Amino acid sequence: MARLRTANERLFYGVLGFVLITVIWEVAANLGLFRRSLLSSPLLIWNAAVTDFGSGTIWPHLTTSLTEYGLGFGAALAVGVPLGLAIGTFRRLNDFLSVLLFGIYSTPKAAVAPLIILVLGIGLESKVVLVFLLAFFSIIVSTMAGVQAAAERHHDIARSFGASRWLEFRSVVLPSTVPFLLTGIRIASGRALVGVVVAEELAANQGIGFYMDFFGTFLDTSRVMLGVVLLGTFGIALGEFVRRVEKRFEVWRPDIR
Amino acid sequence: MVTGQTALSARGVRMEYRDRASDARLVAIESMDLDVGDGEFVSLLGPSGCGKSTFLKIVNGLLLATAGEIRLRTNGKGREDAMVFQDAALFPWYSVLDNVAYGLVCAGVARKEARRRAQPLIELVGLGGFADKYPYQLSGGMQQRANLARALAVDSEILLMDEPFASLDAQTRELMQAELLRIWNTAKKTVIFVTHQIEEAVYLSDRVIVMSARPGRILADIRIELQRPRALEVKRRPEFANYADQIWKLLATQAAPVGPS
Repeated sequence: MARLRTANERLFYGVLGFVLITVIWEVAANLGLFRRSLLSSPLLIWNAAVTDFGSGTIWPHLTTSLTEYGLGFGAALAVGVPLGLAIGTFRRLNDFLSVLLFGIYSTPKAAVAPLIILVLGIGLESKVVLVFLLAFFSIIVSTMAGVQAAAERHHDIARSFGASRWLEFRSVVLPSTVPFLLTGIRIASGRALVGVVVAEELAANQGIGFYMDFFGTFLDTSRVMLGVVLLGTFGIALGEFVRRVEKRFEVWRPDIR
Repeated sequence: MVTGQTALSARGVRMEYRDRASDARLVAIESMDLDVGDGEFVSLLGPSGCGKSTFLKIVNGLLLATAGEIRLRTNGKGREDAMVFQDAALFPWYSVLDNVAYGLVCAGVARKEARRRAQPLIELVGLGGFADKYPYQLSGGMQQRANLARALAVDSEILLMDEPFASLDAQTRELMQAELLRIWNTAKKTVIFVTHQIEEAVYLSDRVIVMSARPGRILADIRIELQRPRALEVKRRPEFANYADQIWKLLATQAAPVGPS
């Protein structure tokens, strides 16, 4: 009961906050407190959305960005999770790669975006690679940490009952890793979005980042803001999705956070 | 049921390890000779750090002894021994049923069959109706019941119990002791029970092995001739007090040693 109410309250106040800011923004714009050409206004953004979604001109940009994001992030998961599990499990592999990984992990990848575009061109490939790089390290590092955080007493139970190494991995290592992995995915999903936009704003001929950059040069701030709104919406949806997956996996330890 | 056969036989078991901080070689167990008869309930009692849990882990195969030999009788049904661990020893991500079935799954039994075979053990330890719960939904006493059921499920010759009731409150602890005797009477297992509580050891055991402070060795092997089945009231009998007193005097000579524990 209490839980239900807080969930509803969260939604209620969240929507209220959004509506309030939007109204204040619109009113301030109408009162002439700032120049609409610089900060636009909710109504102008809405009009831009109606126009561009109505004519369909925004769809190619959306699908391009989503494709880049999906491919890059998917590849980061597909490579990062197994590699992270392997590095976490095999000490030798860990010795061999961990310094390198942590080194690259802490360098700002966005800084090498120009280089990647130079090498791979302004098409899909450069974006996918940048998204991959931004997401991959968060995922692999958190997976490795998860494997190593598996409790020794749980390993002891598996060994005590004579579990095979594979069973020990499935029954002890994997479940212990899940919370860490999900945190990694949450961080990675935000970084990957930055990757898409940065790469598209640098050099592209399609995508939401390109759309924002393009109309920005024409001082069409409503469309730039529309891009921001779309990115924000995507971010919220993604965060909510990860939150649900976390809930699903953590029925067994509801009091941990 | 004691058949006169030997379930466990340990000869000259010695355990040394290197202390990480000082790099000194520490002797955890000096030398242990122990025979446990089939169906016997034997407690290892001693101050903390005396190597009693270490000995259990050596028997279980979790640790490798520096020297010595351990022989276990097999019943041909799989594992010779199964461990009941100290507190928080269930997998939080498994239901009670899957936790209890885990030992069987480790032994290669298909999950479905393992679950089917785990069910009666859940009933035996008094957890009927809780099979689908997760460990966090159980009290400490109930978690230890599941822990015990998991070890019983593999139907091993010997049950190794490593201070299984140490973190329970006094009342639950007493209740669990009585429950353990009831289950032991049904399951007919050889039990090696590690504890540092004199009263617990006397109440449960056929024999109490009193160990010295580190380096661990056997100070005394005391046969407890209290009639079975034992109700909890037996703890108020004069013979019980005599045993407890005798052991207490032995342990009193083993004042806590100074040094890393």
